[in-house]
Amino acid sequence: MLDKDELVRYNRQLRIPNFGETAQEKLKAARVVIAGVGGLGCASATYLTAAGVGHIAIVDFDVVELSNLNRQVLYWEEDIGEEKVLVARKKLSKLNPTVEIMPVRAEIREENASSIISGADVVVDGLDKLEARLALNRACVEQKIPYVYGGVSRLRGMVTTIIPGVTPCLACFNPEGPRGLGVLGVTPALIANLQALETIKLITGQKPSLAGKLLLFNGDDLKFRIYDIGKNEGCQVCS
Amino acid sequence: MKVAITPGFSELFIVVNPTGKITREGLLTINMPWLYAPWPDARETGVIETEVEGDTPRALLGALAQAYKHAGVDFEPINPRTNDMDEDYDVWINDKNYVAIPDGINTRLKDGDRVKVKILWRWDG
Repeated sequence: MLDKDELVRYNRQLRIPNFGETAQEKLKAARVVIAGVGGLGCASATYLTAAGVGHIAIVDFDVVELSNLNRQVLYWEEDIGEEKVLVARKKLSKLNPTVEIMPVRAEIREENASSIISGADVVVDGLDKLEARLALNRACVEQKIPYVYGGVSRLRGMVTTIIPGVTPCLACFNPEGPRGLGVLGVTPALIANLQALETIKLITGQKPSLAGKLLLFNGDDLKFRIYDIGKNEGCQVCS
Repeated sequence: MKVAITPGFSELFIVVNPTGKITREGLLTINMPWLYAPWPDARETGVIETEVEGDTPRALLGALAQAYKHAGVDFEPINPRTNDMDEDYDVWINDKNYVAIPDGINTRLKDGDRVKVKILWRWDG
């Protein structure tokens, strides 16, 4: 049941056909893990908090640096040197005090991924390394938790929604790609908001648009490509 | 030149003027079914056999982009704006990245040469 303040706070989204109070209550009860609170995680955490996802765990091991500020919009100059998860919790809680924000200071690895995501309804990718993503992917597949992958570099980005047992997982693709190419702040913001939208759809029972599909965003030419993707029957993680 | 194209997980393996029979041996499944879009009949064997004009990776990639475009698939490894490799793709020629070869994607291909076109994933956050 939504209280009076919540009816006002979420008024604009409650007006959306097929959303309404039922969907808002699902958001309020939901548990989301945001793995990595960098360029992607700052944006997805902000919009999921604003939308009223009730319980959000934010996971990161890093501290705020000056070079983060072009894209990690939860951090300001005064936060340099502070732990990202603590700064993010403070800002997100000020944005929406009704949301429970749980900071987890950890670097995601094979050995801790399962415990970090335990109990989550959806895991949102905000990481910046392939190895950590593959650890997260494996844990999500094992626990049958949907995992919304997002990755960026420069003006390019990708998103897919992984539903264990239904769609291909990240390991299905033997993925390769460059790291450390630089990134313009708007790119992770855009990709993270697509991830947040997929997350909201998953929580509220709508069909996610990128399950079994890979979205490629090209900001140089402003192109969105969406490709169908299938499972690798020989995948060592999900098959 | 004749080419035999085998779609992999997120890549195309291409053999130029193959001398023997190309099969999908070792590549059991296909993750991106749209890679067959211009050649739907090739789904049965899993190997696309076609002919393209020109004898360089640039000509090959351009011909493939046209074939995909006619099938309604936006697959442009060579960016028409820059006339160079697009950042979403990478190319290897006989297992060497094209940037490490003097003529890059303008290299003249020989019979039996192997070209791999891969869709790159994004890892930064």
